[in-house]
Parts: sequence; structure tokens; C-alpha cells
Amino acid sequence: MPDHAAAPPAGAYRARRLGRLNLEVRQSIGRVKHAAFIAFGLGIGLAISVAILMAAGVEAANIFEEFVVLTFFDRLGLSSVLIECSPLILVGLSAAVAFRVNFWNIGIEGQFFWGAIGATVIAIFDVGPPATRIGLMLILAMVGGFLWIAPPAILKIRLGVNEVISTLLLNYVAYLFVLNQIYGAWQDTRDRFPHSEAFDAAERLPLLGWEKVHLGLVISLAAVALVWWLMQRSRFGVYMRFVGANPHMALAAGIPVAMTIFLAVGLSGALSGAAGFVMGAAQEHRLTGTMAAGYGFSGIMIAFLARNNPVAVLVVAFMIGGLYAAGQSVKVFYSLPQALVSLIQAIVVMCVAASDFLVRYRVHWLRGAAR
Amino acid sequence: MIEFLANWLAFTPVFAVPLLLATLGLIVNERAGVINLGAEGMMLCGALAGVACYIEFGESTAVGMTAAGIAGLLVAFLFAFVVVVLRADQVVTGITIVFFGAGLTGLIGLRWNDTAIAGFRKLDLGLLSGIPFFGKVVFAQDAMVYLTVPIAFGVWYFLFRTRAGLNLRAVGENPQAADAAGIAVDAYRFWAVAAGGALCGLAGGYLALAAAKIWVNEMTHGRGWIAIALVIFARWMPGRAVFGALLFGGIEALIPRIFAAGWPVPQYFLQMTPFLVTLGVLVWVGVAGKRRSAAPGALGLPYVREDRW
Repeated sequence: MPDHAAAPPAGAYRARRLGRLNLEVRQSIGRVKHAAFIAFGLGIGLAISVAILMAAGVEAANIFEEFVVLTFFDRLGLSSVLIECSPLILVGLSAAVAFRVNFWNIGIEGQFFWGAIGATVIAIFDVGPPATRIGLMLILAMVGGFLWIAPPAILKIRLGVNEVISTLLLNYVAYLFVLNQIYGAWQDTRDRFPHSEAFDAAERLPLLGWEKVHLGLVISLAAVALVWWLMQRSRFGVYMRFVGANPHMALAAGIPVAMTIFLAVGLSGALSGAAGFVMGAAQEHRLTGTMAAGYGFSGIMIAFLARNNPVAVLVVAFMIGGLYAAGQSVKVFYSLPQALVSLIQAIVVMCVAASDFLVRYRVHWLRGAAR
Repeated sequence: MIEFLANWLAFTPVFAVPLLLATLGLIVNERAGVINLGAEGMMLCGALAGVACYIEFGESTAVGMTAAGIAGLLVAFLFAFVVVVLRADQVVTGITIVFFGAGLTGLIGLRWNDTAIAGFRKLDLGLLSGIPFFGKVVFAQDAMVYLTVPIAFGVWYFLFRTRAGLNLRAVGENPQAADAAGIAVDAYRFWAVAAGGALCGLAGGYLALAAAKIWVNEMTHGRGWIAIALVIFARWMPGRAVFGALLFGGIEALIPRIFAAGWPVPQYFLQMTPFLVTLGVLVWVGVAGKRRSAAPGALGLPYVREDRW
């Protein structure tokens, strides 16, 4: 071997002594290890959230009391968690269905609004006999959500228009349209506040007889069952999985790729519309400009944390419902802004997304290796 | 009519500059292969930092803008750590950054909420500013408008005329090849995200200090997303970004002019126009540019070397 090849340049020599990190892509990971890594990320996220709450002036002892004891182990608290989680389950399912076919539906709030608008049209114009009104409201809400996501879906399939941006832009359009209605034609004539007139008794979801828990919970649970069957048991679910994993191969295998994407995305819009209906018919009892705030991101985070699994969506939505319910009382007692709930959700998602690193890669420290 | 036109054009840069700064930042990001959907959150942090430091430290726009840039940079460090170092999903993390920014600013911004500030002042360039029509439109803007011109030029020069810029584009186009050529892929991506975040922070700071002259929650109102769309419209080229930002700045500047003129146009429908025009532009790009996409080859894909050890 010639001499000059044996002596490395000075820089390389230094790198050789230091070594470097190497990432190995894991081919598989055990269930326990997987769960442990996710729990690690979740734990860090929750720890940061607790630190933020303490910095914002909530005493450490009260955090456990407010967010766990009074929320999940208290009759009134638990009932408000169940109320809060009904629309959350629906938006979580909405995001999961779209994400399964690799369609980033960031426009959940817009479809939520159009669902609420659809329900409001039936309610304030008293369409149909009172007995059928709730049913009509739900149907028109789902149609509203579907119609609002149809253009981005078609644009994506036909022209490859980025759906992240198109669905998000339509959120602002839907919001401005709602403002146009509630500051205009649909403004409440009784109190002159910017919201629609209140829905009549026949246009509200009936209570189930336990505290204020309403039929919305049953609708959400039915949606979980339906989506679970569709995604995990039906032929359509296999198509969705195939299209999401590899659209080119799915096309080659003769699967109707465009139609699968369109139907899955349409269902996503309809589910978000249904969430808007539940919010309008059971919680707000009218169309308001703030009713959709936060539900878009919550839907995305629920689907992400649940790995697009409908049953896991139910569990995660229940926990986020707890955060919403506790957030309400913390807001009142400590006069903290609603933004706190967004911030906590964002931190938890970020930590769990970051913990994926440990799930995906095995990290080696290569001593003495060149850079 | 001439007066209306002069007022409109004179207001256009104030709306165009934040869009341009954010778009330039995102071009640097995406040219390195990282899609940053968190622009809105970085802009919000920049806006709050800008206003807060402006109020607290002697009402200086220079201090405010510096703080805005640093705030954007800090959020970008967080984003870069998660997506570049830890290789997390860029779409989910980006969206999360938006809500992180909105939540954080909503929580700590209460003190400075709804406080009107003087902010940037229009410069008086003496004789030049006195030229009828032209003086008002071109020679009576604030300092940041003039500063944005060299920034845009600098981004172009860096990306297309320097070795580092070439390396950065190589990293975004084909990280495997860049890595094989000895380019430090992670380092380029990390600093591209950081620089992009700083520019987004400046965009937010300018929005608050010059356009709005106030801090209110979620005041960016979708401009970060419009900037993301502008990157596609600009085909990842800084020069075309200037054109796109002026176009959208013009539309935004027109809205208050129309209100001021008292024309009977429904307010909320008018406010929809920037979003609908953005969507229209995306559709147009989709129809026109279907055959060859200008997007960097590795946009949105994390890079892992996968070597032997």
C-alpha cells in the first residue's frame, strides 16, 4: 500500500477519534418497548404541561386535583368530560379516515362550520315536522361537511393541488361566511348578539338522563362502530389501507384509487359536519362564531395519537375531553386563557411525535468512526 | 381616482413585506427539503415578541424587529430539532407548531393585548417623497420596506450564486447524493430551518409593528398559510416570490381602501378574497404546471443515512 494513502488528513483524524452517531432503521419493535417509548414521550409532554401550568400560577397540588380527581372521578366532572368528548370523537374519526388514505384534512373546522350551518338552516327555518327535525339536521350537517371537503378532494385527485393548504384556506372562508350570517341575516333578533337565534326544544339533542349527557355521545359511539367496521372489517377498509400505503401499487392491482380517496375524504368531511351538528344541537343550541375553535387541531392530534385506529380514537378523545373539561374550570378559577388548552395539546403531540424517533431508529454511538 | 390609486399602491408594500419575508424564509426551508407548515406559529411568536419588546424597551422598531427575528429563530430551533434531528413527521409537527405558537402567544401575550403602538413610521425622503403620486408610492415607505429589497436579493444570491446555496439545494433535491458528496445534510437542513424561522419571525414582527400597529391574539389570520401557498406559486424562486407577495399585498391593501371609499360591498365576502385568490392560484399552478413540478425532490422526506457500522 502506498504511503500517502495510509496517512489520513488532519481533520479526518480528529473525527475518527470522536466517533459519531449512527441511526439504524428498526425492522420491527416489540409491543412493550413500543409502548414504553410512546409513554416516555407522553410523560415528558405531560411534565412540560404541568410546569407550564405551575408557571401560569396554578399550584402543583391543585393540578392533580383539577385535571384528574375533579375531572374523571367526580360525577359532574365525568359528565362534562362525556359531553366534551362527543364532538371530539367525531373530529378524531374524521381526521383518522382521511389520514388513512394519506389525505391531510386540515380543514376540519371549515367542515365543522358547514355542518353547523346545515343544522342551523333546518332549525331556524323550521324545515319539516318537529319529530323529524333532529334527523334532518344531522343529515344536512353531514351533507354540508361533505360539500365543503369535496372541492379540495377533487382538486387533489385531478390536479394534485396540495390539500393541506386548500383545506386550511377554506377554514377561513367558512369562518368568514359564518360571521357574515351571524352579523347579518341570521343575527338573533332578541338579544342582538352576533349569533343565530336559539334552537327550539325539538331541535336540540335529547338528554340521556344522567346529568347533562346527551344523545350526541350515542351518535359518536355509533360513528366509532361504523368507522371501525369500515376501516378494519370491510373491503373498503382494505382498499383504504392499500391506497394509503402505496397508491401506485394499488392502481396497478386494479383498486379504484381515485374513488377510494374521494369516498374516504368525503366521509371525513361528513363526520366533521356531524361534529358541528352535535356542537350546535347539544351544546351551543345556536350557530356561533367561536363554536369550531380548536376542534380542527384536536381532531388532527387525536387521530395522530390514536394512529388512525377508530377504537383508539375513542380513548384519546376521552382523555382530550378531560383536558377540555378541566380547561373550562381552570379558565374560570385561575382566569387563564383558552389558549392554554391549545398549548398543552401542541406540547403533548410534539413530544409523542419526537418519541417516534426511538420507535423508528436504533441509535448507535460509533467510537472512532470517521464522520 | 388617482388619489385612490395612489393610496392603494402606497399601502401595498406594508402588506406585501410580511408575505415576502415569510415566503423567502419558506423558500430557504423548502429548498433544503424541509416543508415548514408552522410558518403561522412562527409569525405569531415574532409578532408578539416584536410588540412586547417594542413597548418594554424604549419604543424602538429596531429592537422590536430584532426580538421578532429571535423569537422566530427560537421556535424554528424547536421545529428543526424535532424534524431534522429526530426526523419526526414534518406535516404533523408543522401543524403542531402553528398551535404551539397560537397557544403560547395567547397565554403570555395578555399583558400587551390590544395596546395600540406607533410602530414603524413612514420615512420622509425630502424632495423624492414630494414627487406627486410616485413619491407617495415609492419614496415614502418605512425603513423595513427598503431593507426587504436587499434581503430578497440576498436570499436569491445565497441560493443561486454561492457554494453553500448550491449545497443547500442539493440537500433538498437529493440528500443521498449530497451526503455521498460530503455535504453535511443535517447541518444544512437545521440551519435552513433556523434561517427560515427567523425570516418568518421578522414577517410577524413587521405585521404587528407596521401593518397592524397592535398585538391581538391570532393576528396573523392565515398569512402564514398564504405564504406557504406563495412558495408554490413562486415555484421556489425568490424573484417570483417578490411578484407574488406584491400581488397578494395589493389585494390585502385594497380591502381597507374599499371600506374607506364606502362602496357597498359585503364586508366578510371581501375579506374572503385573499383566501379564495390563493386557492385560485393553487388551482392555476395545478392546471398549468402539471407536467413538470418545480418542487425540490426530497421535500418533506426525512433523511437517514442507513450505513454500515
